[in-house]
Amino acid sequence: MTANIEIRNVSKQFGAMTVLDDLSLSIKAREFIVFLGPSGCGKSTLLRMIAGLETVDGGEIAINGERIDHLPPGKRGIAMVFQSYALYPHMTVRDNMAFGLDNIGVARDVIDARIAEAARILEMPHLLERKPGQLSGGQRQRVAIGRAIVKEPKAFLFDEPLSNLDAALRTRTRIELAQLHQRLQSTMIFVTHDQVEAMTLADRIVVMNNRRIEQIGSPMEIYERPATKFVAGFVGAPAMNFVDVAIDRSGDVITVTFADSTVIPTDIASNQVVDGAHTFGVRAEDVRIAPTGQGNVDGKVDVLERLGERTLVYTRLSDGQIIVASDAGNSRVAVGDTVGLAFDGRKSHLFNETGRAWHARRA
Amino acid sequence: MSAPATSIKGRAFGDRVLLALVILLSIIMIAPVLWVIGLSLKENAELMANPNSVFHAPYTLKNYINTIGTSSVFRWVLNSIVVSGGLTLATLILSSLAGYGFARLNFPGRNILFVIVLFGLAVPEQAVLVARHQIFSMLKFHNTYHGLILPGLSASFGVFLMTQYFRAIPKELDEAAMLDNAGRFKIFWKVLLPLTVPAQATLGIFTFLGAWNDYFWPLISATKKDMFTLTVGMASTQTNFAQSEGIGFLMAQAVFAGAPILIIYLFFQKYIVTAVSGAAVR
Amino acid sequence: MADQLTIRETAAPAVGVRVPSANIYAPQWRNFVFVAPFLFFFTTLLIFPLFWGMWLSVHKADTFSTGRFVGLDNYVRLFHDKVFLQSVWNTFYFVLLTVPTLALIGLFLALCLNRRTRTAAVLRTLFFSSSVLSVTIVTLIWRIVYIPNVGLLSTIYGWFGATAPAFISDPSLAMIGIAIATIWWCIGLPMMLFLSALQQIPQDIYEAAALDNANRWQTLRSITLPSIKRTFILVIIIQIVLQFQLFGQAWLMTRGGPNNLTKPIVLYIYDTAFRRWDLGMGAAASEMLFVLILIAAMAQYLVTRNKGDQA
Repeated sequence: MTANIEIRNVSKQFGAMTVLDDLSLSIKAREFIVFLGPSGCGKSTLLRMIAGLETVDGGEIAINGERIDHLPPGKRGIAMVFQSYALYPHMTVRDNMAFGLDNIGVARDVIDARIAEAARILEMPHLLERKPGQLSGGQRQRVAIGRAIVKEPKAFLFDEPLSNLDAALRTRTRIELAQLHQRLQSTMIFVTHDQVEAMTLADRIVVMNNRRIEQIGSPMEIYERPATKFVAGFVGAPAMNFVDVAIDRSGDVITVTFADSTVIPTDIASNQVVDGAHTFGVRAEDVRIAPTGQGNVDGKVDVLERLGERTLVYTRLSDGQIIVASDAGNSRVAVGDTVGLAFDGRKSHLFNETGRAWHARRA
Repeated sequence: MSAPATSIKGRAFGDRVLLALVILLSIIMIAPVLWVIGLSLKENAELMANPNSVFHAPYTLKNYINTIGTSSVFRWVLNSIVVSGGLTLATLILSSLAGYGFARLNFPGRNILFVIVLFGLAVPEQAVLVARHQIFSMLKFHNTYHGLILPGLSASFGVFLMTQYFRAIPKELDEAAMLDNAGRFKIFWKVLLPLTVPAQATLGIFTFLGAWNDYFWPLISATKKDMFTLTVGMASTQTNFAQSEGIGFLMAQAVFAGAPILIIYLFFQKYIVTAVSGAAVR
Repeated sequence: MADQLTIRETAAPAVGVRVPSANIYAPQWRNFVFVAPFLFFFTTLLIFPLFWGMWLSVHKADTFSTGRFVGLDNYVRLFHDKVFLQSVWNTFYFVLLTVPTLALIGLFLALCLNRRTRTAAVLRTLFFSSSVLSVTIVTLIWRIVYIPNVGLLSTIYGWFGATAPAFISDPSLAMIGIAIATIWWCIGLPMMLFLSALQQIPQDIYEAAALDNANRWQTLRSITLPSIKRTFILVIIIQIVLQFQLFGQAWLMTRGGPNNLTKPIVLYIYDTAFRRWDLGMGAAASEMLFVLILIAAMAQYLVTRNKGDQA
């Protein structure tokens, strides 16, 4: 069973505070959607509104074309995996999974069959008679997912389900979740503040900030063509370099000028860009280390972060502006060196003071 | 180098003084009880002749046999069990339901009602006793089991304790159960109530102990000998105390009445201490 | 199982139709069902008698009939009754005898027994054990301690050829005798409250003090005692409330005598209402007690509210 979900003009207030403001979103059947955003952006609230755990103060939510915002949580045909898992501590794993089915009067043999199938998928048949207290964090996570699977819901909702796991287990579970989605072909909505989870799992990412949706798009769209300055800064590690610039749009493409008079040609079409104050953006991997004097500008190396496969070079320009560049894993650069920085104009971005973005024409 | 040495010596001396004080207090705690047990094992005539005879044989179980032979004592024990047990069971049911209601459900006037219930904690029994007695007289509740049980059902402490306990359970459990199509009562009964067992134990033992030891209400409500609780019954036999004919017998009664409670205390010590301290601090 | 969340089973509303959103936390009258059974008993057996008692206190009443309205007459009679005034004084005297002693001994025991050794655990059990006994047993035990001839006290004094003080019959000692029995009975609670307060003091403060070369007395004075100051006040108030309600010990040990010198307020209420059947005046006396206890309870509420550092 799978379903498309339609969210139309939804808003939410807590007291006098508006947490979601006139928000619309269409989720296709079988899609893996990730709500990504900083804490407090309303992403969990939106998920809980879909689940029926929060009221919908304005707008409507429909599943497969049927309005569900007036229905209690149990009647919406969705399953949710909580951040804390919320397993029933006094019930065995089997009873945890059976509880919801029991409540709607599913026949015992059907329940048993579904539990057996879920246990097989999640590789935990040996855990069925244990109680949550006897399980590790990763195992509890599986049980929580298993409890959702047996309900054969129209959609799965995940509320930061990986945040209680340690780093290694988180990576593994992430991959397993992706496989699970492949296998179940079910609609899944996943809330996280972790951009790596979002990038690796999502068919489409919904980037949320400050009561609104900033951008909806595939992971690569979000990464390569961020719709706003917020998205550009939030997605990607290290964060995108931002430099306040003056622009020259007399040519076919924009040329930007730093405060220290460095001039950088970009591949951004001039005709779209509007007047105003502008910020130039470029990711670290699009700034190459060059011999001194041979880049667009020279910088003094402040800090080196050696990540193994690459080295992040934090440089300071003469006017104090920090630029992060990416160099090879075995980079010979040392702290205190003066290096040249070569910007890749074909992968640069431009933002104005309202956050609006323009991107280089695709190569 | 000598300064630390003296301070350690001083510390050892101080320790000994404190130890001696604690031992002295322990003796004060335990000596009267041992004395009572000793007297209960002696013939009355021998005691009258020489109190020091407690310290040597012959000892006898005659007083205990007499105690058990007194049919009233069994009746009183039974009454106490019925009253304390009934009150405990009813308190657990009422407090759990109300605790869940106040902690988890919303209904018109919830907050103001909870404040009123909390205010009930501050009302001492004596403030309502006279009126309660008159009401029970009119309803002919005196000298009945329900007459002894009912007043205890108005105590707020259990509701307060259970509300606190339900509030401490993560709300996600309720929400998961709602997504699992469980109704309010099923969430209470199947999901949350099993998690409150420690609080149930604490409240149960506290209520039972309080009812078992209660003296004032049974004294004024149960005036017929058949309806005495053990506490009141024991007190009623003490009236001829001055003649001191049956000191050994009285002491055997005291041991007979006190020992079960002390044994229960030793088994459920943790819960009793939690309950009593919890009731005090609230 | 009727699911209270199944609000309506009608067809899904059409797009754009404004329907109330599902609200799992909405106030609903049916949720009241859970608190109703308790509230029934609470109202009929506590709230109603509370007001009934106030009403009684301004009426002339006996067990089966309530007579005429007498205004504040009962209260006036009360304050002209030497026995009542004596009982108020007795109660205060008793509170003064027991409460500070209980707090200090309780604190002392808690400080000595706040260790992880087996002996300390056994002694904690011992000092709390008397608290679970009923007042009947406690008074029986202490009467046998005080009683002349076969009493424990007179036996011990007898070894030294001395006569034991007559704690029950001597007018100047009777209340002290009751106070000693009460302290013996009630010492467990203050000790336990202090112990739990001591256990909440973070251990690293003591480690820091040890690094600062503080000796034991300095540690006690500058760290331990300030940390449990609030608990100390709390213990005092709790004990005031408890000891104000003195009844069983006095009734069973001395019957309030000699000469009403050990008659506390509650015993006065008992005598007036349930032995002389003057319910109106008994109710008036219990209202006075209620006010006294309410003042102490308010103080306790204020202290517990202002804690801040604890949940």
